[in-house]
Amino acid sequence: MNPEKKKQIRDFIDSLDKQEQIWANGYLEGLLQEGSPMPNLPAKPLGENKKITIAYGTESGNSKKIANLFASRAKQEGIHAKLVSLDQYRLADLPKEEYFLTVISTQGEGEPPASAKKFYDHIHQNGFKLPKLKYGVLALGDTSYPMFCKAGEDVDHQLGHLGGERIVDIQRCDVDFEQEASTWMNDVLQKLSGSKVDNLAPVKTTKKPGGKKIYQGEILTNINLNDRGSSKQTHHIEIGCEEVFYKPGDSLGLVPFNPTVTVEDIIALTGIDQERTFVHRNDTYTAYELLHKKLNIVYLPERVVAKYAVHVEQEIPAVKTGLLDLLKKYPVKDAAHFEVFLQQLEPTTPRLYSIASSLESLDGEVHLTVAKDAYTLEEELKYGLCSDHLCSLKAGDKIEFYIHHNDQFRLPQDDQDVIMIGPGTGIAPFRAFLSERESAGAAGRNWLFYGDQHFTTDFLYQTELQQWLESGVLSMLDVAFSRDQAEKIYVQHKIKSRANEFIQWLQNGAFLYVCGAKKMSEDVEKTILDLIEKSGAGLNPTAYLDELKSNGRYLKDVY
Amino acid sequence: MFIEPLLMSDAHLSHIEKVKQASDALRGSISEGLADEITGSISEDDKALVKFHGMYLQDDRDRREERAEKKLERLYSFMIRLRLPGGFLTADQWLATQNIAGEHATGVIKITTRQTVQLHGLYKSHVKPTIQAFNQASLYSLATCGDINRNVIAAAHPRQSPIHQEIHDFSYKIDQLLLPKTKAYYEIWLDDEKIADKKDEEDPLYQDRYLPRKFKIAIAIPPNNDVDVFGNDLGLIAVIEKGKLQGYNISIGGGLSSTHGNPATYPRLGTVIGFVSGEENILKTIYEVVTIQRDYGNRSDRSLARLKYTVDKMGVDWFKTEIARRTGFVLEKERPFLFTERKDYYGWFQNSDSLWYYTPFIENGRVTDDEKVAMKTALYEIAETRKLNFRFTANQNVILADIQSEDKAAIEKILQKYNIEAYTQSISSIRRNSMACVALSTCPLAFAEAQRYLPSLLSKIEPLLDKYHLQQEDIILRMTGCPNGCARSYIAEIGFIGTSLGKYNLQLGGDHAGMRLNKVFKESLDEDAILQELDVLFAAFAKEKKAGESLGDFALRKQWV
Ligand SMILES: Cc1cc2nc3c(=O)[nH]c(=O)nc-3n(C[C@H](O)[C@H](O)[C@H](O)COP(=O)(O)OP(=O)(O)OC[C@H]3O[C@@H](n4cnc5c(N)ncnc54)[C@H](O)[C@@H]3O)c2cc1C
Ligand SMILES: Cc1cc2nc3c(=O)[nH]c(=O)nc-3n(C[C@H](O)[C@H](O)[C@H](O)COP(=O)(O)O)c2cc1C
Ligand code: SF4
Repeated sequence: MNPEKKKQIRDFIDSLDKQEQIWANGYLEGLLQEGSPMPNLPAKPLGENKKITIAYGTESGNSKKIANLFASRAKQEGIHAKLVSLDQYRLADLPKEEYFLTVISTQGEGEPPASAKKFYDHIHQNGFKLPKLKYGVLALGDTSYPMFCKAGEDVDHQLGHLGGERIVDIQRCDVDFEQEASTWMNDVLQKLSGSKVDNLAPVKTTKKPGGKKIYQGEILTNINLNDRGSSKQTHHIEIGCEEVFYKPGDSLGLVPFNPTVTVEDIIALTGIDQERTFVHRNDTYTAYELLHKKLNIVYLPERVVAKYAVHVEQEIPAVKTGLLDLLKKYPVKDAAHFEVFLQQLEPTTPRLYSIASSLESLDGEVHLTVAKDAYTLEEELKYGLCSDHLCSLKAGDKIEFYIHHNDQFRLPQDDQDVIMIGPGTGIAPFRAFLSERESAGAAGRNWLFYGDQHFTTDFLYQTELQQWLESGVLSMLDVAFSRDQAEKIYVQHKIKSRANEFIQWLQNGAFLYVCGAKKMSEDVEKTILDLIEKSGAGLNPTAYLDELKSNGRYLKDVY
Repeated sequence: MFIEPLLMSDAHLSHIEKVKQASDALRGSISEGLADEITGSISEDDKALVKFHGMYLQDDRDRREERAEKKLERLYSFMIRLRLPGGFLTADQWLATQNIAGEHATGVIKITTRQTVQLHGLYKSHVKPTIQAFNQASLYSLATCGDINRNVIAAAHPRQSPIHQEIHDFSYKIDQLLLPKTKAYYEIWLDDEKIADKKDEEDPLYQDRYLPRKFKIAIAIPPNNDVDVFGNDLGLIAVIEKGKLQGYNISIGGGLSSTHGNPATYPRLGTVIGFVSGEENILKTIYEVVTIQRDYGNRSDRSLARLKYTVDKMGVDWFKTEIARRTGFVLEKERPFLFTERKDYYGWFQNSDSLWYYTPFIENGRVTDDEKVAMKTALYEIAETRKLNFRFTANQNVILADIQSEDKAAIEKILQKYNIEAYTQSISSIRRNSMACVALSTCPLAFAEAQRYLPSLLSKIEPLLDKYHLQQEDIILRMTGCPNGCARSYIAEIGFIGTSLGKYNLQLGGDHAGMRLNKVFKESLDEDAILQELDVLFAAFAKEKKAGESLGDFALRKQWV
C-alpha cells in the first residue's frame, strides 16, 4: 500500500471514536468476507546461546503451564530463557528485549487476561518503536468463543506494528492445545538454534474439532435459595454425573440453547428451509439446529450488526440487538439471501458457573449457585439466556456441560490459613473449598466474608455455614447485608471493621481469595490496600499485594 | 402449723431455674446474642431470659419446611408485649405504638386478652430500636412475660363504677410493688451505664430465682367479670358499699391451662379466701401471696408450677395461715358479691363524670386494615385528634375513652367516615362474645389454628343460630390452639381447644359470669363434626330452654356434659 493511502486510512481511523472503530472493523470484515493473511517474512536462522524472554498472560493457568514447559525445553537446547508473568514484567525492558515470546490466552469478549492487561494496553499506545525486537506469539483460546484467540492476535499484530520482527507465525490453539503448542515451540527453537529440534510430541496433521470433554449430567435438585420477598433468585443446582472430574476452583461450562419461539419466528420470517444443512466449524447441522443450538441470535454484538448492515445494504445503528429485531426492521430479500448471512453469525458464547461442591465429599455430583440474571428491555423484565434456562430445569432433566479447569484458583496446603471473600454467587467456589477442607480434615483456618442484600431472604447457604461455624470448619464468618439498614454495608466494610485480624492473618501467611462481581473485587482491593497502608507495620501496600500475587497467595475469580 | 419451704437440691431444679440463677439478674448473654449477625435467633438460655424483658422468640411455623429446603434457618422473629396496668394508653402513645409497629414489626397491633398490646414479627436487629422507641413514649416491656408478675388487669369500662379510676390507680400500685429490681433491661436495651454496685439491684422479692412460673393478677368490679378474675393466680374483687370502695375479696389459685396427656395438670378457678381492706394491708397481702408462691411453688416441674398447684398441694387453710403469719394479720371473712356477666360494652356510653366512651368491635384484637374495615387507619386518625385516651379490655377490644362532650362529634365523624359504627353494629352477638388466641403460625405450642380460623368458623355457626332464632343470645365462645388456654377457653360456654391440625375438643357448660369451668363434650372434632354437634345442641336449646337460661346453664342442666 502506498504511504499516501495508508495515511488517509490512518487519519480516517483516528477520526473515529472507539465504538465507531469497532463498527468499522466489522464493516470492513463484512465487505471483504475473507481476511487476507499478512505476509510472513522468513526469519533467518540464529545461533545458539541466545537470551530469550518467555512472557505469559494467563487466567486459569494454561498459558503458564505451556510457558513453563517451553522454558525448560529451551534450557535443554542451551538457550537462556527468562520466564515471567506479564503482570510482573517491567514494561520499560521491552525496547531492550531481543527475543520475546508471548504465550497468552483470550478472556472475556476477546480480551486479554487480567494479568496481561497492563502489557496489552502499553503496547497499544503506539507512541514508541521496538526496532530490535524479535518475537513470536502462542495464542490460547477456545473455538467455541466468537473471538477466537483475539488477544494473542492483537499482541502479534501490535508488536509487528511497533517495528518488531516476527520470527514465527502466530499459533492459535484450541482447548486441546498441547500438540499445537508443541509444534510452535519446536518452530521457535529451530529458528533460534538454527538446527532441527526433535519433535517431542507427535504432530497431527488434521485438526480435530473441539477437544473438550463433554459430560452428560442429570439435574438432581434445583431450588431457589432466596426466600419470598427477595428481589433476587439464586438457584442451587445439583447435577448428577458419575464420571465427572474437577477440583474446587473449577467452573462448569455450557452453551445455552436459544428459545425455540425465537428460532421459529426467524424461520417463518425468512422462509429458510429448516432442514437445509450447513457446515459450521467442521460439523454439519440443519438450519434449525444452527439457529437453536449453535449461533448467537439473541444478542448480536455491534460487529455482527455491522456485517448485517452491509448484507442488507442499509444504514443500521451500531448497537447490540437481537437477530429477530434486525430481520423485522431491515428484512432480507429472500431465504437464499438469509442463508448467506447465516454463515456470518457467530457461535453462542459458553457460560461458566463456579462449581460449589467437592468430589472429596460428594462423588459424582456438581453443584452450582446460579443467579437468575434479570434486566429490563423497553420496560419489560427479561432474564439472561443461560441462567434463566438453568433455573428452569427440573429434577430429571438432562444437561450437557464441560469442566473449565482453573489452576489459578486452588486451595493451598492443608495447614495454610485461607481468607475467602465471596458475596452473592461469589460464595460458590468457597462452598466447594469448605467441603473439600472439611473432608480432608485440613488444619488451616478458614475465614469467610459473605454479603448480599437482606439477612432474612438472601443469606445463601445460611444453615450450612452455621454448621461449619459450629463444627469449627469455619473459624470466622463475617456477613454484610447491604439493605438492612439506612447506610449500605458491603463486605469491604466488614473487612475494614476487622482490620487488625485481617492483617494478622495475612502476615501469618494466609491465602487470600476473592470471587464474584468484578466491581466488588475492585472495591475490596482498594479497602485491602488501605488497610495495609494504615496497618502501622510500615508496609508498601501495592508492593505487598504484588508480593502476595507472585507467591500465589492472592487469587481472584471474578466476572 | 409452719412448714419449712422446700429447699430443693440443685439436682431437682428444672433447667430454667438454673438459667435464671446464673443469669446475673436476667442479663445472660443477651447482648452477645444481639450482636451475632449469623443467626436471627438467640441461645436457648437467652430465649428463657428475654421473656422477662417482655419478648418471646418465635418463628413462622408455616415457613419452616420451605426455608429448610432453601438452606435458610427458621424465620425467627420476636413478639414484644407492653406493660400497661389496667390497659391504658394516651393518644400520643397509641400513635407511637402504631408507628413502631409499622417501622419495626408487621404493622398489626394485637390487643391481648390481658389488656395490653403486643407486636409480632420483629427481626432481631429491630428489637433494640423498638424498645428505645417505646421508651421515648414512656412505654415499657419489662416483665410482661416470664416467671414474674405479668400485666395487672382491671375492670375495663369506666361506666362500670364511679370508683373505676380509683381501682385503676391501684393497679399501678400493684404493678410497681411487684416490679423486678434488675437494671438489665436498661443496660441491654437502653444503653444505660452498667451499674457499679450490685446492691442497687438487690431484689428482696424475686431474689435471683424469680417465681416458679408466670403470675397473673386481676381486679374485677361486680357485677361484670370482664377480666375473668377467677382465671388469675390472684384475683381482687372490689367490694363497694354506698359508692365507696371498702376493700377486696381475695381469690387465689386460678389458672386455666392444662397439658394434653398429663392428668396431673388441670384448669382451676380461683378460691376466695377472705376480705381485706386498707391500702397498706391489701398490698401486704398481695406481696405475701407472691412470696409464698416464690418459696413453696414447684421448681422442678414447670407444668406443675403455677400457684394453683401450690394451693392444692399445701391446702387452702394452710395457705391462709401462712399469709397471716407473713402479714401479721388475719383476713376477714369474705363479703358477698355477685357476678352476672362478662362482656364489653360496644357502642357509645357515658360515665358518671359525663365523659364519653366508644367501643368498636375488633376481631380477635387485631388492629389492621382488611377488606371489611380500615380499623388501623381509622384509629390512627382518631388518635391524631388527641382528644381521647385508649383503654384496652380483657376481651381483646379497645375503648376510645375519656372523650369530652364537646369533642364527641369530631370523633364520631371519623368513625362514620370509616364506617366503624355500622360495622360494629352489624357484628353478630356470638362474634362479639368470642375470643381466640394467637396460635399458628407463631405460637410454638399451638396444635391447631385459632385466630386465623375462628372468623370463618363463626361465619358457619351464625346461620345455625339464625336457623333456630337464637341470634340474640349472648353466647360466650372461645377458641385456643392448645390446652394452655390463653384465650380462656375453659370458662367459655362453647370452648374449642386444639388437639391437632383442624381438630378441636368441644367443651360445654361454662356459665355466663365466669364462675364455672366447662367440660369436654366431644373430643377431636373436625369442622363438619363441630357444626353437626352444634346444630343438634342449638335445636334442643331453642326448644327446651327456660326463660333467661344461658346456653352454658342449659347444657349442664340437660346433662350434655
Ligand atoms: C469464571 C466465571 C465464573 C462465573 N460463575 C458464576 C456463578 O457461580 N454463578 C453465576 O450465577 N454466574 C456466574 N458467572 C456468570 C455467568 O457465566 C453468566 O455470565 C451469567 O449467568 C449471565 O448469563 P446469561 O446467559 O444468563 O445472560 P445473558 O443472556 O448473557 O445476558 C447477560 C446480560 O446481557 C444483556 N442482554 C442480554 N440479552 C440482551 C438483549 N436481547 N437485549 C439487551 N440486553 C441484553 C443484559 O444486560 C443481561 O443482563 C461466572 C462467569 C465467569 C466468567
Ligand atoms: C470467561 C472466559 C472467556 C473466554 N473468552 C474467550 C474468547 O473470547 N476467545 C477465545 O479464544 N477463548 C476464550 N476463552 C477460553 C480461554 O482462552 C481458554 O480456556 C484458555 O485455555 C485459557 O488459558 P489460560 O488458562 O492461560 O487463561 C475464554 C475463557 C473464559 C473463562
Ligand atoms: S393457647 Fe396455646 S396455642 Fe394459643 S397462644 Fe396460648 S399457648 Fe399458644
